[in-house]
Amino acid sequence: MREAGAAEYVVRFSFWARFQHAAVILLFGALLVTGMPQKWPYLEASRWVIDSLGGIFAVRWLHRAAGIALSALFTAHLVGAITGVVTRRSPPSMLLSRKDFQDAVDNLRYYIGWAETPPRFGRFDYRQKFEYWGLIFGAVIMALTGFILYFPIFFSRMLPAELIPAAKVMHTNEALLAFLIVLIWHMAGAHLTPESFPMDTSIFTGKIRKEKLRREHPLEYEERFGGQ
Amino acid sequence: MTRRSGATTGGIAVAAALAVGLLAGGAWAQQSPESVAQCLGCHDDPQLSLTLKDGSVMSLHVNPQEFARSVHGSQLVCTDCHAQYDQNHPSGATFPTKRAYVIAAYETCKKCHFDTYTRTLESVHYELVKGGLDSAPVCTNCHGAHNIQNPHEKRAMVSRSCATCHQAVYERYARSVHGKALVEEGNQDVPACADCHTHHQIEQPGTKRFRLGSPEICIRCHGDERRMAKYSISTAVAQTYLSDFHGVTASLTRAAASPASQRVVVTCVDCHGAHDMASPRLKGHAAMKATVAATCAKCHEGASPDFPAAWLSHYEPSLRHAPLVYLVGLFYKIFIPFVVIGLVLHLLLHLYRVSAGR
Repeated sequence: MREAGAAEYVVRFSFWARFQHAAVILLFGALLVTGMPQKWPYLEASRWVIDSLGGIFAVRWLHRAAGIALSALFTAHLVGAITGVVTRRSPPSMLLSRKDFQDAVDNLRYYIGWAETPPRFGRFDYRQKFEYWGLIFGAVIMALTGFILYFPIFFSRMLPAELIPAAKVMHTNEALLAFLIVLIWHMAGAHLTPESFPMDTSIFTGKIRKEKLRREHPLEYEERFGGQ
Repeated sequence: MTRRSGATTGGIAVAAALAVGLLAGGAWAQQSPESVAQCLGCHDDPQLSLTLKDGSVMSLHVNPQEFARSVHGSQLVCTDCHAQYDQNHPSGATFPTKRAYVIAAYETCKKCHFDTYTRTLESVHYELVKGGLDSAPVCTNCHGAHNIQNPHEKRAMVSRSCATCHQAVYERYARSVHGKALVEEGNQDVPACADCHTHHQIEQPGTKRFRLGSPEICIRCHGDERRMAKYSISTAVAQTYLSDFHGVTASLTRAAASPASQRVVVTCVDCHGAHDMASPRLKGHAAMKATVAATCAKCHEGASPDFPAAWLSHYEPSLRHAPLVYLVGLFYKIFIPFVVIGLVLHLLLHLYRVSAGR
């Protein structure tokens, strides 16, 4: 409210994007709640969660159901994103380019004081892109290993059986990594960061303050509203 | 423990020898309370017997030497247990059968052994006694009456007392790696019947609950570092099973209130045997592998012959055993801290820049 137009909002995310984000929160949360007690089944807290949810069989069932749902969402996302880019209805704004790596270096230089200004970001900055691609690769690993663990007999008919315990180690570790990334990088980096504290609401409302867009995504701003 | 019980056995032997010597010298009456001598006046007769209502003959003979050698010999007198019999107690067929007498009389044990007695009330044997099964054991069937020995001393005796009824199971046990060590070498580290099934609160072993809880029994010894070190057996067998999918299922559902929320999953006994457990080392790699494969196939229909390799045979993953599993684990051991430290540093640098002012 400091200057005129500060409270002016512009649309940044479509309903489909916001729906996906909300669904990921729900399903990722459900997978964490039902998955972590299985990773550490002998902890008192795990026992409490398992008993509250109706026992280990219910927990495993919920975990698989949430896994299937998230895999479906993930597939829908990929189909939507690829057709969007191919039909040129949406710009390939999530694709990594040379600029992103250059931005990362420049931004770190800015952080430690070797550069006067931060790099100018487009629709998604390198932190968001790295997190996105981490999520994509993580989802592929989680879904693949998850289905191997779901149908071990079927997979052992085509692949060496040692893959099953290997898939378990991979699933449980990748899950831990994903949890830590979401906790540290996403929660602290996207919401608790001084620029957005206490949270960035744009992915929920679909709108962003025009001023915030200009500051954080200047290239996108210029593309949409002209220079300056 | 072995030393002390040896000393006690010695003590009993001396006492028995003394008692026999005194008895031979006709001095029994001076050494034991009068009441005992009074009872023995009639009951030291091998011919003394009684015809019960069902026509069977029940011997009423008490062998004084045998009683003196028993664990109660130096502590109790006849009427401590047979309180209802005074000098002029009735004679004649007051009980229909010998079993009826045993049932009426055995509860006398609880006067001293009350806690043990109450534990038996929760046992599968008591259920059978209550149901009227004549072959179901009460105290005296396992421990004897006038010849009771200290049950902690001779574990082979425990096996034999169970064997009276469970002959086939005992024979299988006696040939097992545990049974052989106990019966042939007197090894005190191996379990006898009661070490797994408990002494008095014996649970029905056919239930899902017992089966799912059985790994706990094995782990009591096989998770004991000191005991296993003596035989170069790895205690990782416990941890590797418990952290496996089946081990988690068994552990988390064994205490479930209803059998409906329990499912049969593989436990130690399915591969290693329940009474006829063999040493995997002696059995050999190939034979053990075949056993595991057969066990998997019981539930996992249509599994490939290679499927048992999904179970790492109690090995912790290493470059030698399950290198793929080991390498995946190693990768994340390095990768997770690498990523987390990187992200935290990035966040801290950001905060540093913000707080330092632009």
